[in-house]
Amino acid sequence: MRRAIVFIAVIVTALLLQTTVFPEMSLLGVKPELLYLVTVVFAALRGPAEGALFGFIGGLAQDFMLNMPKGITALTLTILGYTVGLARHYITSPSPLLPAILVALGTAGGVAFHQGVAFLLGEEEGPFGYIAKVVLLTAVYGAVLTPIFFPILRRASAATHAGRVVRF
Amino acid sequence: MSLIAASLAIITVDYRAGDEGPLAAAGRAVNGAIAPLQRAVSSVVDPVSNFFSDLADLPSLANENDSLREELEDLKTSQQLNQELTQQIESLERILGLQATLTRTAAARVIASSVSNFEWTITIDAGSNDGIDENMPVVTGDEAGPRLVGRVVSVTPDSSLVQLLIDRGFVVPGKLTTSQEAGTVEGRGAEELRMELLGPGIEVSETEPESVVTLGYEVNEQRGLYPPGILIGTVSRAFSEPDGVESIVTVRPAVDFSTLQYVLVMVRDREGDGTT
Repeated sequence: MRRAIVFIAVIVTALLLQTTVFPEMSLLGVKPELLYLVTVVFAALRGPAEGALFGFIGGLAQDFMLNMPKGITALTLTILGYTVGLARHYITSPSPLLPAILVALGTAGGVAFHQGVAFLLGEEEGPFGYIAKVVLLTAVYGAVLTPIFFPILRRASAATHAGRVVRF
Repeated sequence: MSLIAASLAIITVDYRAGDEGPLAAAGRAVNGAIAPLQRAVSSVVDPVSNFFSDLADLPSLANENDSLREELEDLKTSQQLNQELTQQIESLERILGLQATLTRTAAARVIASSVSNFEWTITIDAGSNDGIDENMPVVTGDEAGPRLVGRVVSVTPDSSLVQLLIDRGFVVPGKLTTSQEAGTVEGRGAEELRMELLGPGIEVSETEPESVVTLGYEVNEQRGLYPPGILIGTVSRAFSEPDGVESIVTVRPAVDFSTLQYVLVMVRDREGDGTT
């Protein structure tokens, strides 16, 4: 229950920022992919199972705001959350840059995968140059934003299981 | 794994059911729930960005007061402008001989833009409660007349999603004003619009850019959703396909989408077919 509330609060906040604030603060005409960032950070903190679950819910919410077949973002973020959660077990680097690097790689891979699936479903896609530009810039933007959002998300993540500690 | 399967199932179901399926209803519910929040945030965002720019100038309190007063004036003027627009377009429609009794407009504020980098859409704060329905044309403009913004693609009671003219997949029949050549205008995302199906040998004068306006009848089975005469943009470049059968021109949109604040939806009555 507690986890559901935290998940929904984080997703709604991310979508709101994504549609209202960040279009005004675009990087060379490209806005960040906050849901990708949040999914990667949650997956890194909580492991593959919760990463996939968070990615699925967040992706589905974002899908509902898009004018294309629903489920593509849900699929992308489920796989992204699972992959990052799994990869995290094999990375022992204590580098403070690690979350930013994970977000950059995760966003680039996720956006490219999303475009691939959309292409297979026959959606109107941009020229390759534009897709490459978006993949690159969202990755950079995500990495830049990670130090700002990471502490907040870590606290949100901690709040999801505080209930278990208090319960007796 | 089950989540991946669920995603795939959702893609399949939605792909087949289109706008009628249970998922579309769920989507409308989500959009309906988030719209009030977007409205609240976007009414705060503009003052905040002004606040930041003031901070950079390190103004005195009096300065800030002046700028706030100016801002209030600006807001008042833009509100008046909005009302003027409504009347303007109504009278324009009469002049154009449209079915004035069947067409009216609903004014709306832009409250959010697309969540994705690959879709060019906006969310406006008016929906089915204001008589808005899917496929209705969305315009903006000034004294000179209406300019095409896009069309409504989905509605909730109090908000609507508008596909912008520049979105990939947006197609509108248009014609060049001086040569009267007709063709289809397509959105190209970050690039300028493209107009095709023109006869060969179109030339564009550099000094007097030619305007492109909407056309009110069928071209290649693309039904004219739009009343005729709405300004789409101006021709920026003309070139021919290698086979030389048809000419293609690129069109610069008449609307600056980055500063778009208010729009008008051209509401059609349900019973009467307002399309021409």
